[in-house]
Amino acid sequence: MEDRVGLWWHQMVTSWSDNRHLDHAVCLQDMERSIGFMFRAGGGSTHVRVAEASSKNSSGPRSWVEKLAGSGLREIRSIIDSDTLALPKMMDVFDSKDLNRSLYLWLAAHSCVMENTGDWVADNRAATSRALQKFPGLRSAHQKLVTAHLKQRPALDSLKGDRLLAESVVQAALKGEDHGEWRVEPKDVRPVWLWMTMMDSGSFADRSSAQQPEYSSMAHAPKREVSKVRRQVRSIDPDTSQNSFLVISKLDSIRTWSEHIRVDRGQDDDPDDQSTGAADDMDQLAISHNQQTRASALKFDLDLPSAAQDDCQLGAGITFPEWNYKLSKLQPSHCSIQILTAENPAPFKPDRMLKKSASSVRRKLEILRAQPRWQSRQAQGDEIDTDDWIRYATERQAGQTVSEVPLVYRARYKLDRSLSTLLMADLSLSTDSYVNNDQRVIDVIRDALYVFAEAISAVNDPFEMCGFSSVRRQHVRIHQIKTFEEGWNDFSMRKVGAIKPGYYTRMGAAIRYATLRLGIRPEKQKLLLLLTDGKPNDLDVYEGRYGIEDTRHAIKEAKEAGVVPFCVTIDEEAKDYMPLLFGSKGFALVRNPQQLSNQLTQAWMNLAQRT
Amino acid sequence: MSVVLMSGECQKTETKRDAHVPYYETQGCECEVFEHCYHQKLPLLIKGPTGCGKTRFVEHMAARVNRPLITVSCHDDLSAADLMGRFLISKDETVWNDGPLTRALRLGAILYLDEVVEARKDTTVVLHPLADDRRELTIERTGEVLKAPDEFMLVISYNPGYQNLLKGLKPSTRQRFTALTMAYPVAAVERAILMREADANEALASRLVQLGQALRQLSEFDLEETVSTRLLVMAARLVRSGMNLPSACDCAVINALTDDLDTAQALRDVVYAVVGSKE
Repeated sequence: MEDRVGLWWHQMVTSWSDNRHLDHAVCLQDMERSIGFMFRAGGGSTHVRVAEASSKNSSGPRSWVEKLAGSGLREIRSIIDSDTLALPKMMDVFDSKDLNRSLYLWLAAHSCVMENTGDWVADNRAATSRALQKFPGLRSAHQKLVTAHLKQRPALDSLKGDRLLAESVVQAALKGEDHGEWRVEPKDVRPVWLWMTMMDSGSFADRSSAQQPEYSSMAHAPKREVSKVRRQVRSIDPDTSQNSFLVISKLDSIRTWSEHIRVDRGQDDDPDDQSTGAADDMDQLAISHNQQTRASALKFDLDLPSAAQDDCQLGAGITFPEWNYKLSKLQPSHCSIQILTAENPAPFKPDRMLKKSASSVRRKLEILRAQPRWQSRQAQGDEIDTDDWIRYATERQAGQTVSEVPLVYRARYKLDRSLSTLLMADLSLSTDSYVNNDQRVIDVIRDALYVFAEAISAVNDPFEMCGFSSVRRQHVRIHQIKTFEEGWNDFSMRKVGAIKPGYYTRMGAAIRYATLRLGIRPEKQKLLLLLTDGKPNDLDVYEGRYGIEDTRHAIKEAKEAGVVPFCVTIDEEAKDYMPLLFGSKGFALVRNPQQLSNQLTQAWMNLAQRT
Repeated sequence: MSVVLMSGECQKTETKRDAHVPYYETQGCECEVFEHCYHQKLPLLIKGPTGCGKTRFVEHMAARVNRPLITVSCHDDLSAADLMGRFLISKDETVWNDGPLTRALRLGAILYLDEVVEARKDTTVVLHPLADDRRELTIERTGEVLKAPDEFMLVISYNPGYQNLLKGLKPSTRQRFTALTMAYPVAAVERAILMREADANEALASRLVQLGQALRQLSEFDLEETVSTRLLVMAARLVRSGMNLPSACDCAVINALTDDLDTAQALRDVVYAVVGSKE
């Protein structure tokens, strides 16, 4: 009974103190594109990504209802730093959808002109006036937001002392009145929805490049949903000279500790379900490097197949450069590529459905077969066809009725297509995951490769197919499936059947290899089709921005070499990074992986027809 | 193929505001470059994004140097015969009919090939002997060799940012031309263009230029092509004829730039943030 009453009371009092308007909420996800456009149109950097803001402890004044309900202790503040624009996941502060929407747009406009001088109120006032200058059309929306927000702010007569002073400064600044000299920090007042906090991003990222630690990654760990929340991080130098704490009891029971304390604790590889919750509770995460690697990293090195088990290696490796965006330079001979081919692959027997789909795609493509030809009997054309002209002249002289417009010209239609295609398939470990009850990503890719090869061979265009995966920069594995020189035959079909999930995705090196292969082709047009299921990543520094920037550079090099890159991806989140790599028209997202084989060939067809 | 032959009867005055000289607002030293090329008998390649004023510039300069202008808009079916000419049938005989290129040579005109990368590569090759120091054209079908008169000038243009990934000029073609790169005009110049071309008032022109500047900051992965001066002029003209500014921008800017609904919505948010919403 006590429980039930307590629960009822809790629900009642929290809903009473809850001043959010969930009915009128607008999601960040729906607004991301508009926010991005707004931010960049206002002069914001292309590299800043929009993220969800984490909640932080609030020490501003609370109403008595909130105190009674024990709510209002945490708040979400919009934050801008050099890498991220962190905004609330959901905007529900006003009782109108339009206002909540305008607030998102306003924050985007506001953040792109924000400058940090250390005075929070003055910075926001200055940014407000700059934003209004840049986007004069927002004036009325901003006015409405200010009016609506001022109504939500605590009444001045309900406050005392410093809180009164801080609140009056904020309200004066919001109204555009003189706010005096008093310095107010964000934590002194209730959140100001229209304002941003600017953070200097920590030096953490720079350090990692200097030391280039070998990160370990939990590739074998069960797939967890990656939180998109942008957390505030500070970097900690592990002071190794000091002995670390000895903790006898488990730290988990100390619930209020958020300072960084050096503690010796056994590293475990078990996924910790509570870590996300703990991170949510922290205001700031302290991150440090130590020189130890986790056991999971070791596991990987052992995971490489033994020489006896591995595919047959073809010749010595080739080295390729890699782009380091932090140094803005191409590091020569940075990656080593091994070319492998399956040894004695088992026969590949496509099932009936797959054969059917391949032959239908093949028929579709056959109409593309280039047939350069002169066509005679045209009303206009490049030159006169003598035969037609004689026929026409004699018919006319013989008194026969002839057409008004003599059809005596020859014209050339449809130029011979000269196109070589290289299909590069991502064979990273992630392709081992299932797309439905029966098929893994790798199976879908295998089918797609088969259908693609069947189709392209129908138009007699030269093509090559490879797969790639990598383990660090020293070992980028290119699996040769069918080369330009080989025909599409039973053996290459077996090699398609033999593809299996590999390791990581060092996309830049794979693209550079493809560029090299296409470079030696005599065809006038060169097409590189990349088939992938995720972002570039590898065990070492090759992740996040490093991987993206290197891939971007490799694509740029490919374009300069006259290769047209196009990416077909099945990654749902591709829209976040693919436009940056391949351009907005340079990739296709296949939402239903089972459609991959059709869509891949469709993409090729569209590209080939554009030539 | 469209061929425009402009009247060459221009007055011999050099004033820019002359009624016969099409309006063009100078952005830099492009007029001098053109004149130098003309006097040195050098062919000129103009690169620039769509709607930045390439065609208008050539029209303006042709009038300034007082030569007729022949414009050919290139497309992928344009053949060498379309440029040089062909035999046509008349009664009992075939009659040679000059193409725009041959006509420009005979007239001593300025030949302007717009969007030249759209033409097939074998078509542009016929320009080679004209574009180097030989300055002559051999018409194989008639056996005639035409020497270019001093007044003849060859001008080609293309848009490098365009989705012409698979196209592009052959290096051997490109290297025969002196090249001029044009960009969208700076704010003050663009404002003057809007005021003159669309008869816009100062406030409208400034607001549209501000919009242009904002949209041009969007990167290539947001938008394939950004807003051109031509689109801004169109928006200004719609406003001048009575439409309200947000609606004019809807038609002339947002819908002209993208077909994608999400992109259009994001663009609309930016556009309304600059010019105000419809309310």
